[in-house]
Amino acid sequence: MRGPRAMLERRRPGRRPPLLSVAARLSAALEGRRARWCAVAVLVPALAAGSGFLVRAGQLTGSTAAGNAALTDRAATSRVSGEVQDALARIFSYTPEGLAGTEQAADELLAGKAERQYEALFGQVEERARKQKLTLATRVVGVGVTRLHEDRAHLLAFLDQTTYRAGREPARAAAQLSVTARRQNGDWRIVALTAR
Amino acid sequence: MGEATRTESRRTRWSPAGGPVRAVAVALAVVALCCAAWAGFSWYGAAHDDTLGYAATRDEVRAAGEQAVQNLNTLDHRELDSGLDSWEESTTGDLRDQLRKGREQFEKQIRRARTVTSARILSSAVAELDERAGRAGMLIAVRTTVKAPKEKPATKQTRMRGELTRTGEGWKLSALEQVPVGYTATEPDERD
Repeated sequence: MRGPRAMLERRRPGRRPPLLSVAARLSAALEGRRARWCAVAVLVPALAAGSGFLVRAGQLTGSTAAGNAALTDRAATSRVSGEVQDALARIFSYTPEGLAGTEQAADELLAGKAERQYEALFGQVEERARKQKLTLATRVVGVGVTRLHEDRAHLLAFLDQTTYRAGREPARAAAQLSVTARRQNGDWRIVALTAR
Repeated sequence: MGEATRTESRRTRWSPAGGPVRAVAVALAVVALCCAAWAGFSWYGAAHDDTLGYAATRDEVRAAGEQAVQNLNTLDHRELDSGLDSWEESTTGDLRDQLRKGREQFEKQIRRARTVTSARILSSAVAELDERAGRAGMLIAVRTTVKAPKEKPATKQTRMRGELTRTGEGWKLSALEQVPVGYTATEPDERD
């Protein structure tokens, strides 16, 4: 028996959702024509300002500067630069006896395009290093993070490379590398290397 | 009688479907006002977010540093004055003093050698930034090309370390050096 009575009951003000009942009371207060104009006069600028603020906030938080966590996230920045520094020193250092170790390190620290490039290069280097008894020591003398997103980073690294050959003076060379790193399972791996 | 009809007709014009419609309209207006207020808060939060400000400064430093290094590696013997002026405009502090001191002699050298030097920034990164002190450190990889008369243009890649200082006219280079081989880096982490 849910006849007209039930309907009537549902329409009683007390049963309305709170927002609607507040609105009903407000609308009762806005009876007069002037009051309504007042409401419009408040609403229109409020909405205009609101959209303005929203656009400006979007510009601030959505800018390329905001999306880049380099330096702003100190912990993440020092972690990625530390890991990349360490990786570069390991993959670009070898001794004639420890070539296998270097290759294994590269296997762990490189991925993607950088891994393929390195393999091609290492094939040539390996032979020469064994024959000529070459030792290469690489030290990172400067590193900076250009861009850092959650699991992708671009860095610039300055390297000092010293080649030791039996019976000769060590030869020193400077190198500059642009490094792209990607985080996989929490660890940063180098995916692209470009000599600068 | 006339008065009553007028009121009646006005009421029908303003709220054709009576109370509920108007209540919904007012509810929507309240919601809209709340949204506007929320937008205002979120803008205020973004505008006063230190991290966002720091990120913007970092990008500003990087752009200023790249431009300054580009300027300092560009010089045309036919436009010496404007070239060396832009050197001074890009720098501040000790570096600027050094450039000023050496300007005359350097001008003579370039006039004699008649070289045209151009530069391209290959990559750069801000390594440290102290917003309060207004100081920043940068790494820059740059390729310079020097053309001398009757000679092939010589290109070389250099790695540089620059220090920038905030001035009234934006960030400017206060030190710039080539990073030599065998350079011992002062770890930025140790300076904190």
